Amino acid sequence: MIKLLVWSFFIAVFLVSPFFGAVNLTLHDIFNSNSMSANIFYSLRLPRELFALLSGAILALSGLLFQTLFRNALMTPYTLGISSGAVLGAGVAIKLGVGVIVFGVSGVTVFGFAGALLSVFLLIYLAQFLKSSQHESILLLGIALSLFYTSALMILFYLGSSIQNDILIRFTMGSLSIVGWKSPVLLSVVTLFLFIIMYFYRYELQLLSISNESAQLKGVDTKKVTLILLVVSSLAIGVLVSISGPIGFVGLVVPHMVAKLYPSTVEKRLLKTALFGGLFLVFCDTISRVLQTQSELPIGIITALIGGPFFIYLIIHRTAK
Amino acid sequence: MMKIDKLSCSFVGKEILHDISLEIAEHITILGANGSGKSTLAKAICGLVEYEGNIEIDTHNVKYLTLKARAKLLTYIPAKLEVYDPYITVFEFVLLGRFVYKKSFFDYANRDKIIAKETLNLLGLAHLKEHSLSSLSSGEAQLVMIAQAIAQQSKIIIFDEPTANLDPKNTKIIAQRIKALKEYHKVVLITHDLHLARFINSPIAFIKEKKLLYFKEGFFKEENLQKLYDVTFDSMVVKYD
Repeated sequence: MIKLLVWSFFIAVFLVSPFFGAVNLTLHDIFNSNSMSANIFYSLRLPRELFALLSGAILALSGLLFQTLFRNALMTPYTLGISSGAVLGAGVAIKLGVGVIVFGVSGVTVFGFAGALLSVFLLIYLAQFLKSSQHESILLLGIALSLFYTSALMILFYLGSSIQNDILIRFTMGSLSIVGWKSPVLLSVVTLFLFIIMYFYRYELQLLSISNESAQLKGVDTKKVTLILLVVSSLAIGVLVSISGPIGFVGLVVPHMVAKLYPSTVEKRLLKTALFGGLFLVFCDTISRVLQTQSELPIGIITALIGGPFFIYLIIHRTAK
Repeated sequence: MMKIDKLSCSFVGKEILHDISLEIAEHITILGANGSGKSTLAKAICGLVEYEGNIEIDTHNVKYLTLKARAKLLTYIPAKLEVYDPYITVFEFVLLGRFVYKKSFFDYANRDKIIAKETLNLLGLAHLKEHSLSSLSSGEAQLVMIAQAIAQQSKIIIFDEPTANLDPKNTKIIAQRIKALKEYHKVVLITHDLHLARFINSPIAFIKEKKLLYFKEGFFKEENLQKLYDVTFDSMVVKYD
């Protein structure tokens, strides 16, 4: 019953979402192809909704992936500093004023991706030196790296001109306001790629969700599989963050919500997690557009406002167990 | 037939096993004090820890086998079932024993599901099929791990202190299971439990000061036990028959 309610609510929001925002639209408006409203609908609202859907899917899938690979409920690309690495990379591109590079992919995207990838490799490299194989230590390492990247970004901030800083600040808050179809199309390729790879390794993930040792004993090359999955998910996160900036809490919260709704093994939750994450972010984005504020609220604020209390609930629930 | 040749093994810079050689025709029970390196030896055989020297099984050097080939040859059952995913069911867990026979990307074949189901029936665990692993008692968990090992159909099954967390009643159930497995598998048993070791009745390898003492028989003589364990034994024997 609760599942039906949640999904119907999300789908309803998904259907009406493009009609609401700074300018509210009607069905009549969008069929009048020459009107300003139709233009807003087709080149702003629809691509943005698709972009939000895909972003949510990437964040939720990556969260699920990290939580499974490291067998820890608090692991996400965000808590492990991968997002911050991507932000730093994108920040460097903004500071250097890197323009278009190849195939129309912007310098910010390339640098963001490189930042994400470098931070994953740095994390894996440093994790080798950990005396205990406890994943809590990796989490601490990730948090330390994350703080380090944020401080490096602050230094960029102090070195930048006021125009660059304006872009940087806006960027670090996270935003889904995009124009046109280029970003959603790029992101749909990335999302599909991430999903296919995770689906391909779904039973390896199921084994890894038990323990690294048990996966190895069943014949899984755990090092190879972990590396492939981490790199692919960092690619997705890097591309996403370089366009939208960091969006927290979706990766943390959504996999747990889906697991509560569908208590089943990880391989059965892949598609549901992707869909739920996507629709959840569309919902958050709709709120950010509908709230009457001076200017549009950054999406990160909404996800954190909803995700924060849930995060606290999760920590208390975990300690109570 | 397993042949261990000049095996040395270190853990966090400390040498645990030194220059061990052993030929095992069939089954073996490995005994030794806490921290003597019993588990390390088992993990070396499974390829979970690095070592110097060679381990051969049926003329295959374990070091050079692919992970899948190794999984078909041997399986390892830890003392305690530790699972991060709280939702995995008993049936799904046993089915994972068939992973090595599964084609990449595809789902488990019907044959694999039938084998998993029949293994559960065999061990009298059918009623737990849909239960989650986290809801099992220690005794049930040990049986479920045995079921997974049987479904994996590997030649050698290594038990790492299977009865360490069990009461005498459950110990008896597991002991009988392990003994029955000797008919179809080669059983490597690591334990502290002398009663269990005696019941299983395999040749004994005793690890002392990084070295290995081999007893084809006669291990359980009182003067021998006194020498090895430095304690006095009385005549109490727990019977698992």
